[in-house]
Amino acid sequence: MSKILKAGALVVALLMNSAYARAEENFGRWLINFQRTKEVKPVTDKRYLKECGECHFAYQPGLLPERSWEKLLNAGALKNHFGDNAEFDNDTLQAIHDYAVENAADKSFYKRSRKIALATAVGEAPLRITEVRYIMRKHKDIPEKMVKGNKDVKSLSNCNKCHTQADKGIFDNDTVSIPNYPDWDD
Amino acid sequence: MKCNIGFRNMATIACLAALPGMAYADGAMQDIAIPSLAGSYTNGSKSYMLALNDADAVQKQASATPVTQAAEFEPPMFSGSNAHKYLGLGTLALVVATALAPKPPEVEGRAPTQAELDAQKSSNHARLGRAAATLAAATVTTGLLAHWDDFHVEDGWTDPDNMHALLGTAGALAMLYAVSKAPGGGHAGVGMAGGVAMGVAIKLTW
Repeated sequence: MSKILKAGALVVALLMNSAYARAEENFGRWLINFQRTKEVKPVTDKRYLKECGECHFAYQPGLLPERSWEKLLNAGALKNHFGDNAEFDNDTLQAIHDYAVENAADKSFYKRSRKIALATAVGEAPLRITEVRYIMRKHKDIPEKMVKGNKDVKSLSNCNKCHTQADKGIFDNDTVSIPNYPDWDD
Repeated sequence: MKCNIGFRNMATIACLAALPGMAYADGAMQDIAIPSLAGSYTNGSKSYMLALNDADAVQKQASATPVTQAAEFEPPMFSGSNAHKYLGLGTLALVVATALAPKPPEVEGRAPTQAELDAQKSSNHARLGRAAATLAAATVTTGLLAHWDDFHVEDGWTDPDNMHALLGTAGALAMLYAVSKAPGGGHAGVGMAGGVAMGVAIKLTW
């Protein structure tokens, strides 16, 4: 019996010591959740999907820390959203802002989001997902010809061109297929 | 006898660890197109003839939208990552089975006879324990091979993958240690701790 108690205490100690314990409000939910959370939480908000997805891939909020979304999603910043005007009415902006901030990388218990948050330096607020340290590190070995020089990809910002299940928040190596480079291997 | 068991376990680990390598090789082999002499000749002469007879047609053909669409991408069923995942889950299942399997009676107060030692080593509990430790070692090996680029020490030990690797390796070592000490007092606690560490490692990156 004492062995079982010791083993139980060890489990609790190890889990409480984990990175997930930092996301206090989500910890209990994560602990009893047996669904896979190793990737990035897929977008579930219809408004976010519609409004952002009209112009580009609706990037999951878990791909950037909260600080970045705060900088990106305000009326002033959206007037010049990477060269385009992407202004919303106040209601829509508020809804999109709140959804992004609530599900930002540093608030998520999804593994890849946690890794993004941990790899981002304190105070750093990358505005582009392609400038996130973790994302840069994961793509550093991919030759330019496969991305910029690839007419069907053109930029790392077109995640879903190679990550075939990006819309589900899945970005692992097994689901990567680089257009025009079927022999690509990581 | 001990040497034989060790050798057999090592061979099993090596075979299981080779799984991701085979998966990669399998993926590469599917794309190998062996050119035939006749094919090369036909293709070469076709472009030559078209170029000579109708240069415009060749240009148009090159820029035209392909009629056949690229096949929809299907993630590979057998990959290094999947091999690692299923080996890890298999290890956990074997740990539970080992804990539940009836243990041979312990000999107290005197040294066990050879027959008693043989009975202990050939019990289901012992066999399952050895299988669990072997699978654990294979899981760690495949994890290192398939997920090497997921570990970044600079992110600290709270990084889920770093912690997964640390706990998984510690768990596998504890299980191997427990098997090496069995039968005997104290191996149960170490083995159980190893299983727990492996379970937590899996949960952290599930």
